[in-house]
Amino acid sequence: MNLYSPRSDMPPIQEDAWVPSTCSLCYGTCSILAHRVDGVVVKIEGNPDSEVGKGRLCGKGVSGIMTHYDPNRLRYPMRRTNPKKGLNEDPGWKRISWDEALDEIGEVLRKLRADDPRKLVVQRTTTVTACRVPFHAFATAFGTPNFSVSGGGQHCGNGAHLISGMMHASWSVVPDFEYCNYSIFFGASKGHSAGHASCSNMGKAADARARGMKMVVVDPLCNFAAAKATEWVPLRVGTDAALALGMCNVMVNELGIYDGPYLQAKTNAPYLVGPDKLYVRHPESKTPLVWDTRTNGARPFNEVPAADMALEGEFTVGGISCHPAFQSLREHLRKFTPDWAEKISGVSAATVRRLAKEFATEARIGSTIVVDGVALPYRPVAAIAFRGAQGHKNSVYNFFSVTLLNHLVGAADVVGGCLGFNPTSHGYPETGMVRYLPNADPDGLMIVGSWMGYHYPYPPAQPRLPQNLGLQDLFTIGMTSPFLDSTDREEMWEKFDVPYRPEVMINCGANLVMSIANKDAVAASLSKYKFIVSFDLFLTETSNFVDIILPDCDYLQSLDARSNYPFIFSLPAGMGEWCWPIRQPVLPPEGDQRQFADVLLELADRVGFRADLNAAYNAWLDLRPPYRLVGDESYSYERICDAELKNNFGTERGLEWFKEHGLIKWKKKPEEVYWRPFVDARVPVYLEFLKPIGDKIAAIAEPRGLKIPLEYYEPLPDFLPCRSHCCDKPGFDFYGFYYRDVVHTNSFTMENPWLDETARLDPFSYAIAMNRSEGVKRGFADGQAVWVESETGRKVKGRLKLTEGIHPEGLGFAAMCGHWTDGQPVAKGKGVFYNDLLELDWEHTSPININLDLCVKVRVVPAESAS
Amino acid sequence: MGVRWDAVVDPAAVGRHQPRPPLPQPVIDRSSRRIRVCVRLFGALAALSAERSLRLELPAATTIAGALAALGERLGGTLLAQLLDERGQKRRHCRLFVGGYPVEDLRMPLHATDDPTEIDIILLIAPEGG
Repeated sequence: MNLYSPRSDMPPIQEDAWVPSTCSLCYGTCSILAHRVDGVVVKIEGNPDSEVGKGRLCGKGVSGIMTHYDPNRLRYPMRRTNPKKGLNEDPGWKRISWDEALDEIGEVLRKLRADDPRKLVVQRTTTVTACRVPFHAFATAFGTPNFSVSGGGQHCGNGAHLISGMMHASWSVVPDFEYCNYSIFFGASKGHSAGHASCSNMGKAADARARGMKMVVVDPLCNFAAAKATEWVPLRVGTDAALALGMCNVMVNELGIYDGPYLQAKTNAPYLVGPDKLYVRHPESKTPLVWDTRTNGARPFNEVPAADMALEGEFTVGGISCHPAFQSLREHLRKFTPDWAEKISGVSAATVRRLAKEFATEARIGSTIVVDGVALPYRPVAAIAFRGAQGHKNSVYNFFSVTLLNHLVGAADVVGGCLGFNPTSHGYPETGMVRYLPNADPDGLMIVGSWMGYHYPYPPAQPRLPQNLGLQDLFTIGMTSPFLDSTDREEMWEKFDVPYRPEVMINCGANLVMSIANKDAVAASLSKYKFIVSFDLFLTETSNFVDIILPDCDYLQSLDARSNYPFIFSLPAGMGEWCWPIRQPVLPPEGDQRQFADVLLELADRVGFRADLNAAYNAWLDLRPPYRLVGDESYSYERICDAELKNNFGTERGLEWFKEHGLIKWKKKPEEVYWRPFVDARVPVYLEFLKPIGDKIAAIAEPRGLKIPLEYYEPLPDFLPCRSHCCDKPGFDFYGFYYRDVVHTNSFTMENPWLDETARLDPFSYAIAMNRSEGVKRGFADGQAVWVESETGRKVKGRLKLTEGIHPEGLGFAAMCGHWTDGQPVAKGKGVFYNDLLELDWEHTSPININLDLCVKVRVVPAESAS
Repeated sequence: MGVRWDAVVDPAAVGRHQPRPPLPQPVIDRSSRRIRVCVRLFGALAALSAERSLRLELPAATTIAGALAALGERLGGTLLAQLLDERGQKRRHCRLFVGGYPVEDLRMPLHATDDPTEIDIILLIAPEGG
């Protein structure tokens, strides 16, 4: 008997449909086909028509069914009846109707808006990209600048996105897998794990490896990327800058290999700098000057052919001694000897020299290649960094030092080199919409053409006495802020006379109690809110602080007209096709579930700011006549999505067209992908603008008692130690860090039973990785229960996994585990809650980009012997 | 020093990209008629101002910058400081729309038309992450 044949007594199938949509198990937002049979989704696969995933789907994506059909999903609004809030306080949930919920929320918001709209904090999860525009539009319309992307944003972006944006006009960077011959991954796993354009990159990376691309992975842990690499270079946690700077020094000063023409034409290397470390400028126009070797004089940079700009030499201009910025850089690099790099990073001097030589040689400086009939520079090397290098107090210099490797050899957004994710688009051919190009500021330095918000990486906004709770208008190099929840937030707000306090929060899907730092700090912050509303799929640890829970629709039940836009975020880089997929409902809501976008529109109607919300949507979506939303008309979210699609792709291609086709594609041009030679903008290899920014911040902060360490604002990079590097407490001899698990997305997917089963088969997913030799030396055994204690006395418990694949001083924690909520019974009790070791205060925050320090010096003791 | 960066690019290739369709042009009255605009403020700006929709009458040949200056005179420097930085440049997160089309260059001239020109102004959220 064939067990898989339909039984004769089963009713005939009435409906069998494959519905194109997009995944939301992580922010990769890969395109999917959901197989629906008689109203039930039975399978999820990748969509082969889409560039986003190219028909493939990772384990998380195919497991989405189990998240959707989880019986623990929220199905109706609830209100707490216990006014007391705490980590272990039962909220006393009572079921209420949507009318009751929105009546109360509307009343709270109406009063708050009349009082001071800034008292509203809007927070979203980064996992669900679809909530970005609706929640941004809502906050914009309401009138609050206080927006948070929770731990996902705080842990993963202030360094990475800042430097990627400044140097590559994009949110993140990736090797040009199609042409790259030699790649170095510093704490990154692009193409080997989750993240931006993950499934597409996995295919590209596999093809690149098969083609023979050498891949060097620099990481404390031999993990997803390192496991497939040609070479794994174990590195002391948080010391990426030291290795990268050592390599830069070898390239420039020992080998003498660098791309002079690139530096002359595309960077500020030729700009003259004086003894004050600032540009020497034309007295009237204030344009930075360069030394013209043909006329033998100083002239504005935009009046001198690049080939004539000096990169070295000592000059006098208007009585000021000065030299090109490249000369400053070259001299500065000399102190980063390979021996020095070895001492800091643990990577041997011989390896530093070898990596530098391999990278510089394979860069093939001066070579060109023809792609689709266009002659382009060819530099088949790429050094990339991401979450590993970014999770530190020193993330700005970590990242900048790595990216300097690319820019010294001209391997930036050219064939084979380090590519930003789609920094340039010439637009959809028929309408010209979604077109953007980087351009230059008056100093000639690059401004991004597209960004995820308006806090651009360059030029940074001028610091001011802060009006935002996160203080980002003071620390203008930073993006996501810890100061909404830090233990010293009140002290900071008082220091800077912030004239209001947060009272109400609207949260979408973020589990702040777990995602940012130790739970006690976050609990204290959340307890102060008068009212919290949360859109969620499940009850989470954060739900204990929420007043009204609203049951959200998940991705199989939701509409989103721009799943993979902006293109700088999750559309694959490199040649191929532009691709604009949508997300459409595959299944109806269950119970009283409603999509957050619809609820926000209704709230705006109830509170009375619909006209503002329409205007906000017009601005965020760049809607032009005749598709602009008008007045205070109560457009549904479907109509707004339809307007956006027609606005971008023409009258015939609205929502109904996209529901049928799933996506639209058009061919990329080489000038779009390899845009660097075509855009007249430079990037800084000398961060001149940091110094005046730092001085201004200090001028505001120091009279108020906050000392600003200005070594973080120097124009040339250095290795600045994290707090963990300075800890010399006896017995605290491991560097704790957490890393992304390919099986899970932060804390979100732990509840998924298929993913949990997969994780339990993986010896690392719920364990603490320790170097085998170090473990045996200390008397530890594989699987042993241990306490891990931070130097500040915080403790977490877990089980060891001894492995040769980790730096001897590293202690690696996978994903964001350790749930304790009863609302997610599959997730509960699995793995280790690493973030509980993290402090959340100024001392553990970068004074330049307000990045939280995510590495911790710890000691490990057997669990039985812990007091 | 090898191949020059500025010699690699074929200038003809740059022109291969699709030009953007021209924006619709208003019916322009080239007389010396004064320019009537209707400025609408949204979001945080509306919260700062007693008037969220106001009509201004401006001299011929006024630019957007001139219109904002007039707005500042009417509503005060605090509001204007939200739109413009200390150098008089539009703040990045301040979005301006004239007749429904985004404007970045404040030097753009306004024209006298039969109906008042609509100028919408809104401040968007700055920080992001993830």
